[in-house]
Amino acid sequence: MRVLVAEDEPSLARQLTLTLRRAGYAVDHAADGERADLLGNDERYDAVVLDLGLPKIDGLTLLRRWREAGQSMPVLVLTARASWHEKVLGIDSGADDYMAKPFRMEELLARLRALIRRSSGQINPELRCGSLVLDPRTGKVTQEGAEVKLTGHEFRVLSYLMHHGRRLVSQTELTEHIYSQGFDRDSNTVEVFIARLRRKLGFSSIETVRGRGYRMNAS
Amino acid sequence: MNWLRSFRWRILLGAFFWTLGLIPVGHLVFMAVHHRTRPRMELLPVAAGTSLVFALFCLLAGILLIRAALSPFTRLRRQLTGVREGSRPRIEGTYPIEVQPLVKDLNSLLEHRERLLRRALAKAGDLAHGLKTPLAVLAQEAERAQAADQQELAAIISLQVERMRRQVDYHLAHARAAGSGDTPGTRCHVLTAVEGLVRTLRRIYAAGALAIRVDVPSDHFVRCPRQDVEEMLGNLLDNACKWASCTVTIQSLRQNSDIVVNVDDDGPGLHPSMRDLVLERGVRADEAAPGSGLGLAIVRDLAELYQGTISLEQSPVGGLRARLRLPG
Repeated sequence: MRVLVAEDEPSLARQLTLTLRRAGYAVDHAADGERADLLGNDERYDAVVLDLGLPKIDGLTLLRRWREAGQSMPVLVLTARASWHEKVLGIDSGADDYMAKPFRMEELLARLRALIRRSSGQINPELRCGSLVLDPRTGKVTQEGAEVKLTGHEFRVLSYLMHHGRRLVSQTELTEHIYSQGFDRDSNTVEVFIARLRRKLGFSSIETVRGRGYRMNAS
Repeated sequence: MNWLRSFRWRILLGAFFWTLGLIPVGHLVFMAVHHRTRPRMELLPVAAGTSLVFALFCLLAGILLIRAALSPFTRLRRQLTGVREGSRPRIEGTYPIEVQPLVKDLNSLLEHRERLLRRALAKAGDLAHGLKTPLAVLAQEAERAQAADQQELAAIISLQVERMRRQVDYHLAHARAAGSGDTPGTRCHVLTAVEGLVRTLRRIYAAGALAIRVDVPSDHFVRCPRQDVEEMLGNLLDNACKWASCTVTIQSLRQNSDIVVNVDDDGPGLHPSMRDLVLERGVRADEAAPGSGLGLAIVRDLAELYQGTISLEQSPVGGLRARLRLPG
């Protein structure tokens, strides 16, 4: 799962980036509206944490632009301006959730998880596939009740596949959603992660559709 | 006939007629006194009658002209009261050419004052908003301290951050209200405001299976700017959504010239002894739902500003009913 953090305050941006990375997300950071616009249009994000008071292009304008351009990723607006009038304006411009500063990081993580889950059509907080259970709240993966230890990248690959259930996910799509920007992306590494996941979870857990991609296999 | 609109000419003309009226009256009085001392002199009744009518006409014309000359001042005073009470933004209408410059000066004074107020409010808003990001940073540091096992430090920082946040929110809402309270004669369409809020809340509370029912006729208006209606109803609806188990209802009724908006939830409700307490500034009925309590204090203050009232009752559907009455 890959998240864009658009926040201009350096300390807050650092805290957000760190916490989100620790929670298992691939995180990109934009310190101003132009950069956020560029990243939002060029890259594929599973969610965006957007500060409204960004320099160069303000958050609301950015949000409207993205929605007009057909970008549908969930956006959590983070702002100091939190009167109800402004909240209505934010939601009507295309925001999916609204949090006022100062906020609790735990709450932000919970809401972000819920947004990502909803946007990929999942209802339960826990993601299940046969005997395999992934809990985004704790970042733990269990198979038949036993915990499976995964590295950050493996977790992201599995999480993305499980969020999309039985849908086929192409290798390119996976690559786009597990790395943050500037990471050396080699599509072969995805194959490596899939191979490692299969070793840990059993060969039949992830199905390969030749030339098209991967999907979870419940049996 | 431009000279007739002149204050000076009206006074002069009034004085002229008044004096003209006084002459026959003086003459008649003189004659009467004279007649008594010298009874032989004849007083012509017809001539006396005519001059009396003439005198009365002149005196009346004089009084009316002076009154007409002074009436712009009464009008001016009425308009100034209107400006003070907020029913009109400026002094309007045409005044005698001597008074018009005064009206112009008064209007520019009002404009200047309004500009100053707006700027001060914008500054206060910027200050409050500017404080929120550093507060967010501090709050995160407190969480970090907590993670690093520095419980005491974390507790102190979070407590102070929370206190500052509440102060900022409370005074910010007040500054906003004070700013919009000066916009006179504003009316807000209740349904439009409610629909926006419900859209927003449905999105924010999308995770839970919460139903928000709206029963607001489309011809209900309240005498209050939209931003403040949204602030009041937003806080009430948000509270209801936090506590409801599955349904929130918002209903609007007309009572005499007022509009009464009821916000109901089917949650646990609130003990009667707590109802007045939560409307007090900064008191929270329960720490479990974040941010409650202060929201209601803001609603109460805003309602009072617009000559409205807020009360809490037992809801017919089980939980709490917030009843907001605003002039329609």
